[in-house]
Amino acid sequence: MNDTFIGYPRENGTVGIRNHVFLLPVQRYMNMVTNKICECVPGTKTVTFTGEMGRPKTDREVISRTLIGLALNPNVHSVLLIGIKRNHGYEEMRLEFMRDAIASSGKRTEVLYLAEEEGFYNILGKGIKIAREMVLEASRVFRQPFGLDTLSIAVKCGLSDATSGIAGNPVVGRVFDKIVTAGGTACFSETTEVIGAEHILVKKACNESVANKILAAVKATEEAALSTGEDIRKTNPIPENIEGGISTLEEKSLGAIVKAGSQPITDVLQYGEQPQAPGLYFIDAWMSSICLPVGFAAFGAQLMIFQMGGAGFPSRHPIMPAHSTGVIMPLMYMTGNPEAYERGSDGIDFCSGEVLQGKMSLETAGGQLLDLILEIASGRLTKVETLKVQDPIEMYVKGPVF
Amino acid sequence: MKEADNIAIAIRQIEAGESVSDTEQKVTVVATETIPFGFKIAIREIADGDLIYKYGEPIGKSVGFICAGQLVHVHNIVGVRGRGDL
Repeated sequence: MNDTFIGYPRENGTVGIRNHVFLLPVQRYMNMVTNKICECVPGTKTVTFTGEMGRPKTDREVISRTLIGLALNPNVHSVLLIGIKRNHGYEEMRLEFMRDAIASSGKRTEVLYLAEEEGFYNILGKGIKIAREMVLEASRVFRQPFGLDTLSIAVKCGLSDATSGIAGNPVVGRVFDKIVTAGGTACFSETTEVIGAEHILVKKACNESVANKILAAVKATEEAALSTGEDIRKTNPIPENIEGGISTLEEKSLGAIVKAGSQPITDVLQYGEQPQAPGLYFIDAWMSSICLPVGFAAFGAQLMIFQMGGAGFPSRHPIMPAHSTGVIMPLMYMTGNPEAYERGSDGIDFCSGEVLQGKMSLETAGGQLLDLILEIASGRLTKVETLKVQDPIEMYVKGPVF
Repeated sequence: MKEADNIAIAIRQIEAGESVSDTEQKVTVVATETIPFGFKIAIREIADGDLIYKYGEPIGKSVGFICAGQLVHVHNIVGVRGRGDL
């Protein structure tokens, strides 16, 4: 079996599995402009972000590096940045700062300023014209064969139930092992769901410094939980987990960490940061389906696996927790719960339920999942990619605000 | 399942009165009530305040006495981490 896929080569040696032109609104005012261009020009993607005004420096840095990270993602062919005027705004949010960071990857960047185009109607027309030209140029890049070492895959586990820890997450772990040992990149997150299992996770840290970063991340999150004065069990596990049989946060965490596999953890990164080398990474961040995929896309992941339990998921043909929150990074869904797969098969790409029933080994299931990932990398659509949905996104900013 | 585990996961719904075993046939228990798919069944007696073990690790502690075969969930066990209310 061939461990290769066909992808779009980029200037800096990374490989895209999709080929988007990214329209980057540098200040919140520009959301509307990039959205309207996006409506007109197929092949473009943009974000509608919640703004930078009145946020402290650390949060502005999160927004800035996340927007830059989205633009640097290998699924992006080229970038059109749109801002108000030259050298304007907070230092971290200046168009020129972001453009230079993106251009250093070798990607084509174009810029437009509202003040120089003299207003909304003109900038909209100019933006459409440039975007059309960029999309045409992107369409002249063709897929080439590449190996596992050029893959960068993220995982989030959601709507966890009892199958997550035994038939779902361990299968992802097997895939991560194959990718990382081949020289590729993988990442996972959800710090709250390490609480109770951190003593196991730290054994996989590649050195003491990384182990200490993991413990510090968990400690900070747990302290934040304690400071609310609330019983965390009323927040996480979520109601759907409890309906699915998970009783405590510790139980959820022990099942969650197995999604990382058995390879050493190379480093701990903050939300929106990019890795400097291949390997396995833990991102210290919130588990939200609206927020975390954006962070993974900024990391540089080409694809995110949403490993779903699903027992607490209502109705036939349920709505998936997220469709487009990866922005330029597609989401694929899987579950280890055969009953959830049967109900949600409109949106779920893969089922490892046979592992649960003892009919298939984790190795075999991992092999099948990797085969599917390689097909998706080569152009096969994920089920949620077949639905036109503009999810809201949120970036992991913590406040306070002023 | 690990040696230390005092609960097991039902991989299908178990009816009250049914005798069930784990996949390796090491443990057998009779369910005292319905155990829904994916939920936990006590495989031995658990005293009030005892730690609950799954995957060989503690996942919380019991509230009250739990006899073998009973459903184990939020009504009779509690987690201890992240408890700002304690």
